[in-house]
Amino acid sequence: MEKDTKSDVPTTQEKKVTERREASQWAVAWRRFKRNKAGLAGLFIVLFFVFIAITSPWLAPYPPRSYQSLYEGDAGQSPSLKHPFGTSNSGLDVYSEVLHGTLGDMYVGVGATAIAVIIGIVIGAAAGYSRGGLSDVLLMLSQIFYTIPLLPLILLAARVFLILVAQGFGLTLIMLLLGVFGWSTIAFIVRGEILRVRELEYIQASRALGASRSRIIFRHIVPNILTPVIVTATLLIAGNILTEVVISFLGFGDVNTSTWGLTIQEGVAYIRTQWWVCIFPGLATLFAVLGFNLVGDGLSDALNPRLRD
Amino acid sequence: METLLEIKGLKTYFFTEAGVVKAVDGVDFQVGKDEAVGLVGESGSGKTVTGLSVFRIVPQPGKIIAGTITYEGEDLLAKSDEEMRKIRGRKISMTFQDPTTSLDPLYTVGDQLAEVIREHQKNISKKEAMEKAEKLLEMVRISEPHLRVGEYPHELSGGMKQRIAIARALASGPSLLFADEPTTNLDVTVQAQVLELIKELRETQKMSLVMITHDMGIVAEMTQRVEVLYAGMMAEVAETHSLFKNPQHPYTEALLQAVPRIDQRKTLRVIPGNIPNLINPPSGCRFHPRCPYAKDICSEKVPPLELTDNGHLTACHFWRSLSLTGT
Repeated sequence: MEKDTKSDVPTTQEKKVTERREASQWAVAWRRFKRNKAGLAGLFIVLFFVFIAITSPWLAPYPPRSYQSLYEGDAGQSPSLKHPFGTSNSGLDVYSEVLHGTLGDMYVGVGATAIAVIIGIVIGAAAGYSRGGLSDVLLMLSQIFYTIPLLPLILLAARVFLILVAQGFGLTLIMLLLGVFGWSTIAFIVRGEILRVRELEYIQASRALGASRSRIIFRHIVPNILTPVIVTATLLIAGNILTEVVISFLGFGDVNTSTWGLTIQEGVAYIRTQWWVCIFPGLATLFAVLGFNLVGDGLSDALNPRLRD
Repeated sequence: METLLEIKGLKTYFFTEAGVVKAVDGVDFQVGKDEAVGLVGESGSGKTVTGLSVFRIVPQPGKIIAGTITYEGEDLLAKSDEEMRKIRGRKISMTFQDPTTSLDPLYTVGDQLAEVIREHQKNISKKEAMEKAEKLLEMVRISEPHLRVGEYPHELSGGMKQRIAIARALASGPSLLFADEPTTNLDVTVQAQVLELIKELRETQKMSLVMITHDMGIVAEMTQRVEVLYAGMMAEVAETHSLFKNPQHPYTEALLQAVPRIDQRKTLRVIPGNIPNLINPPSGCRFHPRCPYAKDICSEKVPPLELTDNGHLTACHFWRSLSLTGT
């Protein structure tokens, strides 16, 4: 902390005191995060994609999955002013598709992670607190979900259930599947962290000094296990986006909603002549995944109390 | 002397998958008002578990299965969880072994002190609690308390952390403090300072002290009376001075011999073997496999606790015939 304030040295000690007191754990974490160039770049990328996702309905010149360019006689055109990312052979405006796909993929990536984190915390916490039978059963359940190859399972489930869901809910289904099958890592982390933190002396000390059960859990245990959960969740968003792209690319996703994977799939047959159809959604995927990974890395450094100076 | 805390026949067992660990197996213990008592033994002798039992915070799968714990005439084991919670920290308090982990790394020193203060005084504002926290830091001799309240534990040295842990334990003015190995993990010079501080605070705060330690030097320095535990059972109870001079239990003698002396040129005597497995403790006297004076009866009969001529309580079949060396 000393290093930060070197440039504007406080004139009196009193001033320094108030400054220090205001430095909550989050402020300290943010200050550390800011110093991490890669993390900051990642954050910029993530915010950029979030902005695109929110504004895509207004930014995109064409509605989702619209083959209008075909009727305008613009199918299969290379990037131009009218079609910044070109058009596909079937008349999709790639620029519009990438923008709409941003919304779809962020929705899946963030939503699936939220579901996985909630399930993972509940199961991991229950496994960490309880002893004996229940703990073993929950641990085994997590291991089963961790061991089974997820992609084929999700592909199969998506194929089966997509027939059943109403049109427009296909992406939500993919999101649910990714979340419901992808919580095991979070559960392991939460369980392990609770086992670690629960035995630490400051937990016993606060118990010995009269802290209530809820205070111990919510003030001393949860915040101390949150760091790895936040970091893993950020990395999980990247993973979920990538998996969604794969599912859509393989044709198992929602074919009525714009996603990056679907656009790549459309273009892959013509990649030799119309490279732009694959390249732009591919780049979007690359940068989104990179962005979230960089943020995750930055967070893991910034939130580690042992690394605070 | 007025009795503050009285433990009778305490049994605290741990029900592990490997079997029942009899960590504390029938221990009596008393602390008088303004008294400093040492609770001594090797790791695993049951001294910390005895302490935790008083607070009723024995970690899972441990359980108090027998005995009574009376504090100021009230039966602590009969209290509801909520009543017990109000006693912890306010009336009886504890500091823990490892100062590096006994403070929560996420909160500033001030926050952690204020938390304890406000836990027991609901109507105090955060600002008042912070001011009180600074006073507490002053009390434990921490320089520039107004700066320290804003610092995180990782910014402090081990000795400072232990002082803060002590300040936190004293935040609500308890009348009895359990100090569990307060000087492990500290430099020798810092150890002396921390002990001096505890000694002083005991007088200024008018509180009783239970010193949980394996260090006979600390016992001599800090306490008036000592209880020696071995493998979850009482070995000897005596006035500190008398215990050092005339130990009446072979384990006490062995502990005293194991203290290095700078004024005597002789090889340090160690106690052979380890503390026994408490799932299947040795039959008879639990110390007999390591005892140099053991005879057949020791493995057959549990020695009763007897009052010796010089006022010790000892659990040895041969206290009458043995002449043990003290220091």
